[in-house]
Amino acid sequence: MFKNAIHWFNKFTHSLSFKLSFYAGLIMFLAIIVFSYQSISTQENNLINKMIQESLKDSEVIKAAIWNGMMTKDREVIRQIVKAIGEQERFKEISVYDNKGDLHYSSRLIVSKNRIDPSVEPLMSDFKTDVKPRHRISKDGKSIIVVNPLVNTGSCSASGCHSSPEIEKTLGVLQVKLGLEGMNQELLRNTRQTVIFAVSLFLLISTASGLGVIWFINPKIRQLQEKAAKMARGEYDPRGKNGGSDEMAELIRSFDRMSLQINQRTMELDASRKLYKSLFDEVPCYLTVLDRNLRIVRANRAFVNEFGDQIGKNCFSAYKNRKEPCVNCPVAKTFEDGAVHQSEEVWRLHRRDCYVMVKTSPIFDDKGKVYEVLEMAVDVTLLKRLQFRLERKQYEFRRLFSTVPCYLTVVDRDFNIVTSNDLFDRDFGSSAGRKCFQAYKNSEHQCDNCPVAKTFNDGKTHYSEEIWRQNGEETYIVVYTAPIHDDDGNIISVMEMSTNITEVKRLQGELAILGETIAGMSHTIKNILSGLQGGVYVVDSGLTRGKEDKVRTGWAMVKNNVEKISDLVKGILYASKERAPEYREYSPSKLLSEVCDLYEVKAKSQGVNLVRSFDDKIKPCLIDPAGIHSAISNLVSNAIYACKNLNEEQSHTVTVSCRMDAQTLVVEVSDDGEGMPEEVRENLFKKFYSTKGSRGTGLGLVITRKVVHEHGGSIRVESKQGVGTTFVIEIPVNYEQAPPVLQEAS
Amino acid sequence: MAKKILVIDDEPDMVTFLTTLLEDNGYETVVATDGDEGLSQLKAHKPDLVSLDLLMPNKTGIKMFRELRRDPDLADTPVVMVTGFGTDDTPNMDFKKWIHERSIKPPEAYIEKPVDKDALLTAIKKIIG
Repeated sequence: MFKNAIHWFNKFTHSLSFKLSFYAGLIMFLAIIVFSYQSISTQENNLINKMIQESLKDSEVIKAAIWNGMMTKDREVIRQIVKAIGEQERFKEISVYDNKGDLHYSSRLIVSKNRIDPSVEPLMSDFKTDVKPRHRISKDGKSIIVVNPLVNTGSCSASGCHSSPEIEKTLGVLQVKLGLEGMNQELLRNTRQTVIFAVSLFLLISTASGLGVIWFINPKIRQLQEKAAKMARGEYDPRGKNGGSDEMAELIRSFDRMSLQINQRTMELDASRKLYKSLFDEVPCYLTVLDRNLRIVRANRAFVNEFGDQIGKNCFSAYKNRKEPCVNCPVAKTFEDGAVHQSEEVWRLHRRDCYVMVKTSPIFDDKGKVYEVLEMAVDVTLLKRLQFRLERKQYEFRRLFSTVPCYLTVVDRDFNIVTSNDLFDRDFGSSAGRKCFQAYKNSEHQCDNCPVAKTFNDGKTHYSEEIWRQNGEETYIVVYTAPIHDDDGNIISVMEMSTNITEVKRLQGELAILGETIAGMSHTIKNILSGLQGGVYVVDSGLTRGKEDKVRTGWAMVKNNVEKISDLVKGILYASKERAPEYREYSPSKLLSEVCDLYEVKAKSQGVNLVRSFDDKIKPCLIDPAGIHSAISNLVSNAIYACKNLNEEQSHTVTVSCRMDAQTLVVEVSDDGEGMPEEVRENLFKKFYSTKGSRGTGLGLVITRKVVHEHGGSIRVESKQGVGTTFVIEIPVNYEQAPPVLQEAS
Repeated sequence: MAKKILVIDDEPDMVTFLTTLLEDNGYETVVATDGDEGLSQLKAHKPDLVSLDLLMPNKTGIKMFRELRRDPDLADTPVVMVTGFGTDDTPNMDFKKWIHERSIKPPEAYIEKPVDKDALLTAIKKIIG
């Protein structure tokens, strides 16, 4: 209760209304007091002066009376006058002293002392130089003493009354003592009234101003307080109307305007805060705020979702499971220089490695010092993986490009080779600065029907088969071209892929020949079968009819056809099977004679003259007699056939010659038969190629060439249509050991 | 009187077989080994039927057959084609040409080698009895 009272008292004394009224009243009060003091002092002086003047006037009267009395030497008159005047209330005492200070007359009834008051004595001494009256206030302040000198006039010194010497200026003094009580009482009264007035005025002004504050200002202040409280709570709507035209109303309106602005700013601030908060949280990258100790102070939602709650932990332990800060830490750099830094990092998560692009930017405090650092990390793992995959693919593509077993070149619009693969570089040399037709064909002009140009024209894949000369041999090449586009779809270059299909072509040719040969062979076999069937029938017929000649004819047919089958099968086996040559010392001329003996009868029956031209000096040499026999037999048989086919009257000659040319055994088989057209010459040594139709196997020359190659030799043919054909075999014989077996590239 | 058949074939074995077979079956035979000889024998002997091999040197059977069909005197002579090429081997060879050349009457019979002697005899009997 007491405390409550003190509280309220304190509250009251501290209130604006109290202070305002109190101090206003106090100032007024003090002003009145000061004014009153001044006024009373002046009044007091005036009263004293007035009294002094009156007393002087009275003293002059007394002096005159005294003078008169002295003149008449009537002391009693003087005493009466003094007494009469001294009886007036305002005079306390009237005394007359001589210049020695002795009392002569006094209005006092009882004269206690006859000497002048010592306090007045100094006044008297001054009269020696100055005869003006003087006054002073008594020590107790209750009276005023006026001293008026009695001047030594001429009459006084001249007359015999006193006979006072002339040098004495004064004869004595008249002292008049006036009471001040009345005046003091009046002053006291005046003072009291003044104080009462001042206190009343103080109370009045204090009350008035206090009430004024209470009535006019307090409600407004309360209103302001309420508004401020509402504003603080965020409930204040400053758009209400506020009447009045005084300063308080103006103040409230200002407050309202200020509130409105604050509200607006607050809303803007709030909106931008929300925006930033939402940005911070929703931005699709990891945002963290780090302090100087590299501790995570704040983190956005994406970060928390991915890494969990890591607030308070060190970034290096949270991202990378490290125990100390990373080398080249961009956050530390930003703390150091206040600049933006960025780097590429790998964050090690428990689930996976996360590749991030990190950018750090400073957050400054009021003094411009880096207070925290914002770390923005964008997860580029997917991109990184794609990048790795792309690199891998590029590597694979590069590998494929280099190692693919065909020639690959990329050619620009001017036919310059931009890129080439390893095989191309190996077979055609470096492509640097060369045009495709120069590199591929050793030509100085763009090729006809250029597939590269076509692809540049229409953007489509083109194909062409070409024959190139490589190392003097014809090479069959198939060329594919494909466009390479830039990002805008324009063809910037063309890829040219060339595959050597010579082998395929050769096999294709062989396959075709094989097909034909098999057809031919089946025809031959049919013919042989027909012959056998015929022979069997003729034998049967002869036996049935008892005609021996028929039996013989039929039997000969059978034998003949069995032999044909035997030859065919042997030929096929010889040509297709790998047979190891058996080398021994053998005379070439003897071998050739054996072959000629074998074909002598056949040649003669077909009107062909078989001529032998052997050099007898040829010594036996190391050969495979069976192989050479077979090889030469085929040539002689072909030569006789070439002559036999001519349906002419004249006879033909087949010459078999043999000589040693240095260390080379040269065997020639020539005929003057029909000769061979170009097509036949080209296909001579191909398997199953035959011009003999049903009678040929297409294997003879294949076997011949095989044997010659086995001996390390060579075979060539010279032929002219209508003139004849010559086969030349050259076999080196200057060896003592068996020659290396050179396999035919079949 | 025995019917006369001209056997044209460049293979001697075939000639021997066919003549023996035909003679054993009561036919008289004349022989030629190529087209030219065949034509002259045809004109000389006027056979009742020709057994013609397709593939022969000098003048092939096809060539000779066309000449035979175009020759008004010989055109009606029945021809039996005897060859090693089966229909499967030459699906688009001469048969088609014969069909396209409307003016030429196709051969009366076609016998593949090796010759089935019963088929040959049946065909001949059907043509000339």
